[in-house]
Amino acid sequence: MSVLNRSALFSGLAALLLPVAIGMVFFYAPMEKTMGSVQKIFYFHLPLAFSAFLSFFVACVSGIMYLRRRQRVWDARLAASVEIGVVMTTLVLITGSLWGKPIWNTYWTWDPRLTTSLILWFIFASCLILRSAIDEEGKRATFSAVMAIVGFIDVPIVFLSARIWRSIHPTVIRSNSVGLESSMIVTLLVCMTAMLIFWVGLYKFRVSLYLQEAKVNDLQIDGTKS
Amino acid sequence: MSSLRQIKFLLGKDLRIELRKKESLISMAFFGALILVMLNIASGIGKQIDAESGAGILWVAIIFSSVLGLGRVFAREKENGCVAALLLSPITPGEIFAAKAMVNFTLMSLSELVLVPVFYVLFGAQLTAAPLALLPILLLVNLGFSTTGTLISAISAGTRRNEVLLPILLFPLILPLTALAVKATAGAMAAKPLTELLDQLEPMVAFCVIFTAAGYLLFPFAIRED
Repeated sequence: MSVLNRSALFSGLAALLLPVAIGMVFFYAPMEKTMGSVQKIFYFHLPLAFSAFLSFFVACVSGIMYLRRRQRVWDARLAASVEIGVVMTTLVLITGSLWGKPIWNTYWTWDPRLTTSLILWFIFASCLILRSAIDEEGKRATFSAVMAIVGFIDVPIVFLSARIWRSIHPTVIRSNSVGLESSMIVTLLVCMTAMLIFWVGLYKFRVSLYLQEAKVNDLQIDGTKS
Repeated sequence: MSSLRQIKFLLGKDLRIELRKKESLISMAFFGALILVMLNIASGIGKQIDAESGAGILWVAIIFSSVLGLGRVFAREKENGCVAALLLSPITPGEIFAAKAMVNFTLMSLSELVLVPVFYVLFGAQLTAAPLALLPILLLVNLGFSTTGTLISAISAGTRRNEVLLPILLFPLILPLTALAVKATAGAMAAKPLTELLDQLEPMVAFCVIFTAAGYLLFPFAIRED
C-alpha cells in the first residue's frame, strides 16, 4: 500500500509543479530576442530529452539486474521505463521538429543529436514490439533485458558515428554559445524538476500496475490448475 | 584448444547442411540480385548514378538479403528442438555463438561474391575503382552484422514471429555500422586510397569489437530455453 501512496505523492507533486512550470515559461521567462516565442518550447524539450535518456539508462540497469537476479520486479522496472522512454522520445522528436521548422527551416536534419534520438526511439520501440510478441513471462523478461542492454550500448556508437558520418557537411547548430539569462535558467530548472518528479510518479504507477497485472495472471493460472 | 575444435565442428555441421540443401545461399543471392534490379529500374533506366547513391543501393541489397540467411540459421535449430541438444552437449554457449556468427559470416561473404559483380554490371559504368577496393569494408560489415545478427536472431527465433521480428530488432542496432559503411564505400568507389577512409573504418572496427563482446556475453541468456 505504501508504494501506491508514494507514487500518489509524486503524482500530486507533479500535478502541482507542472502548471507552475508552464506558468513560468509563459509569464516569468523573458522573450528570446531572435527566436521569439518559439524558443519557449525549449523549456520542455530539454527536460523531456533528459528524462527520456534517464528512462533508457534505468531500462539498461534493470536489464542487467534482471539477468543477474531473475526477479519479477526488475522486469517490471524495465518495462515501465522503456514504455515511458518511448513516449518521451516521441515527444522530444515532435517538440524538436516544431522548433526546427521556423528556426532551421526544416522539420528534420541529420544532426548527431537528432540522429541519436531517432535511432534510440527505433531501438526501444522495437523492444516494445518484442515484448508484445512473447507470452511466456520469463522469456519475455530475459529477451527484453538483452535488447535493453544492447540498445543502450548502441547509444554512444550511434552518436559518434553520426558525427563522423556528417563530418564533411557543416553542422547546423553548435552547442548554444549564447549564455542563458538567469531567469531563463531558473525557469529551466523548475521545468526540469517538474518533469523529473512527473517521471518518477509515472514510473512508480507503471511498475505497480505491472506487478498487479502479473499477480492477477498468477491467480488466473492457479485457478485453471485447481 | 578444445573449444576451437568444438567451434570448427559446429561450423562444419552447418556448412555441410548448407552445402547439401543450399536453401539459404541461393535465396540470399537471388533476393539480393532481385533488389539490385528493382533499384536499378527505380532509379530510372538509362540514368547513371554517382558513387554515393551507388554505395547506398549496394548496402540496401546486401543487408536485406543477408537477413534471409540469418533467420534460417536459428530457425533450423529450433524446428526439431536441436537447441536443447546443443545446450546439453559439452559445448559452451559462447562456442555456439562463435560458430553461428562464423556461419553467418561465411554465408554473407559468399552471397556478396554474387551481389557485388551484379552491382557492378548494373551500376558500375561511372564507378572508377575496382570491386576489390571494397573488400575491407565488406569484411568489416560482415563481421559486425553477423555477430550482432547472431545475438538478435537467437532472440527472434525464440518468439512466434521470427521472420518479422528479426529485421525490426536488428536494423536499428546496425544502423550506425551501415551508415559508416555507405560513406566508406562511396569513398572507395570514388577511388580514394584506404588511408583516407580510416575515419570511417576505425569506428566500424570499434562497432565490431563492442558488439562481438556484447553478443558473446549476452548470448547465453538469449539461447537458454526457460
